[in-house]
Amino acid sequence: MTIVVAYKYAANPQDASVGSDGRIDWSRAKETVSEYDPVAIQVGRQLADAAGSELVGITVGTTAANSSLARKGALSRGLDRAVIVADDAVRDWAPTRVGSVLAALVERIGDAAIVLTGDASVDEGAQVMPTVIAGYLGWPCFLEVISVAQTADGWELVQAHEGGTRTIALAGAAVVSVTTDATEARTPGMKDILAAGKKPAEEVALADLDAAEVDLTVTAHSRPATKAREHQVFSGDDAPAQLVAALRSVGVL
Amino acid sequence: MTNTWIVAVSPQISALIDTGRALGGTVTAVVAGTDPSRFLGVDRVIAIAAPEGVPAEALAPSVASAVAAQAGDVVLVANRPSERVLAGAVAAKLGAPILTGAKVIGKETAEISRYGGVTQQTISLAQPVVLVVDGGTAPSGNAAASETVQAEPYAATVTSTDASSVAQVNLSAAKRIVAVGRGFKSEADLQLAKDLAAAIGADLACSRPIAEGSGWLARDRYIGVSGQHVAPDVYIALGISGQLQHTVGMTDSRVVVAVNSDEHAPIFAGSDYGIVGDIYTVVPAITAAVK
Ligand SMILES: Cc1cc2nc3c(=O)[nH]c(=O)nc-3n(C[C@H](O)[C@H](O)[C@H](O)COP(=O)(O)OP(=O)(O)OC[C@H]3O[C@@H](n4cnc5c(N)ncnc54)[C@H](O)[C@@H]3O)c2cc1C
Repeated sequence: MTIVVAYKYAANPQDASVGSDGRIDWSRAKETVSEYDPVAIQVGRQLADAAGSELVGITVGTTAANSSLARKGALSRGLDRAVIVADDAVRDWAPTRVGSVLAALVERIGDAAIVLTGDASVDEGAQVMPTVIAGYLGWPCFLEVISVAQTADGWELVQAHEGGTRTIALAGAAVVSVTTDATEARTPGMKDILAAGKKPAEEVALADLDAAEVDLTVTAHSRPATKAREHQVFSGDDAPAQLVAALRSVGVL
Repeated sequence: MTNTWIVAVSPQISALIDTGRALGGTVTAVVAGTDPSRFLGVDRVIAIAAPEGVPAEALAPSVASAVAAQAGDVVLVANRPSERVLAGAVAAKLGAPILTGAKVIGKETAEISRYGGVTQQTISLAQPVVLVVDGGTAPSGNAAASETVQAEPYAATVTSTDASSVAQVNLSAAKRIVAVGRGFKSEADLQLAKDLAAAIGADLACSRPIAEGSGWLARDRYIGVSGQHVAPDVYIALGISGQLQHTVGMTDSRVVVAVNSDEHAPIFAGSDYGIVGDIYTVVPAITAAVK
């Protein structure tokens, strides 16, 4: 049995620049293991330790995803090994197509009992990738999961649901996205980073995997119009009074 | 003719129906595991029936089989966790893109806000596309002809439910919002923001770490890409840095106010009025000035 975590090596759009034509220049934005993915890796570590099984990370990204820095970044978080697809062709792929390749990696591993993901990736933030992976695998998928425990025939999940929680018992394998606070992600220390350099990371060529054909045609890019703002900063002791007066004068108080 | 397929668990889908009507074709709702009679105002309902206690997510394969979208059709799904799972299953089955952040959905193209809203892409709808968007409220209109399909669910059951003790809030209609961020050092300190909110008749909201992680406010009160999208008359951000994952949820506010001790905090770039200062002294002073 293997515990699998799907992670993404991605940059924060906050650090990217956008041209007047709407095209994004990512060159100054530094890629890292996406902000919430270490939480999923840590949940996976706990499950793998409890079951005495292996924890394998999978990722599909551009060539940057297989740089030494990227591999260490992921492996130092607690993975036993990583299986990586790193090909610049995927940059403009529809998320559905990327999901089909992640599913193909899970099938390649063969005995995965669960695929964990973080809440959302820092660049897309769409919270859909686990659902697509599950669609291709033909496995059930649950999002916003607070805790995961293995049972005799599958998993017990506690899920945030309509303001409260609910507990789900399921038989067999599943794709599970964990909440940002499902556990505390560990910050890797020097020892973890050194150890990561010795852990196996296997690169799989895109050509060796069955990627779904997904047609996403982008016909135009544009930079969204940002609302003009007043940018008025009040200072001094009577700043609060000035603020209240301004809000009254524009009629919002 | 663009036909619309709506995949739903909850009947809060008025916005999806409005979009489908504007597109002009047939609007079919594929309803997973709930009473189909509440899905008013569509042309046709396909109810995926499941035994009691089966979570909607477990019906994904049956839902995906029921959505017979053709080239040119769109699939609309409300952006809620159970429904996103169904959306992903439909996208995989159809080999269709799945995208969040649609701003405009037309007959031939859609405009999609991507990467936290920093760019907008126009995409072709010549092939089926699954769009995950805000669902809206409960629909009105006539009950549609409904057919029932027995689901072949995955082996999953809800074994217990712990309902929330606090009522769910919908901030999308709020006129005034006071939002708190990590500038607050403890849960008790939120009282400063609550006092201001009470003084001006505002709803309380927050950045994500205040709801998840700290757990000081309920999850349905955080604003942003993964949370609520709001457009009040006035949005007062207290001790919030203004990362775009937050601001994308409030950028349509009419007037934005920021109080932050860091004059370089990104929140000021998107604000109308600001005070560079300590929320612990500035916020009570604003409350006093209001009174
Ligand atoms: C995939 C993804 C999705 C996300 N989705 C969301 C989302 O939907 N919503 C969301 O909010 N975030 C989201 N985030 C997180 C987001 O990127 C930011 O980390 C978060 O919004 C920061 O919250 P904050 O502004 O409260 O905290 P911080 O960034 O820590 O900012 C605190 C601010 O308080 C100021 N401050 C400190 N002390 C004082 C004081 N005494 N007086 C005045 N000011 C003070 C500081 O100067 C600072 O600017 C997401 C992140 C990721 C990766």
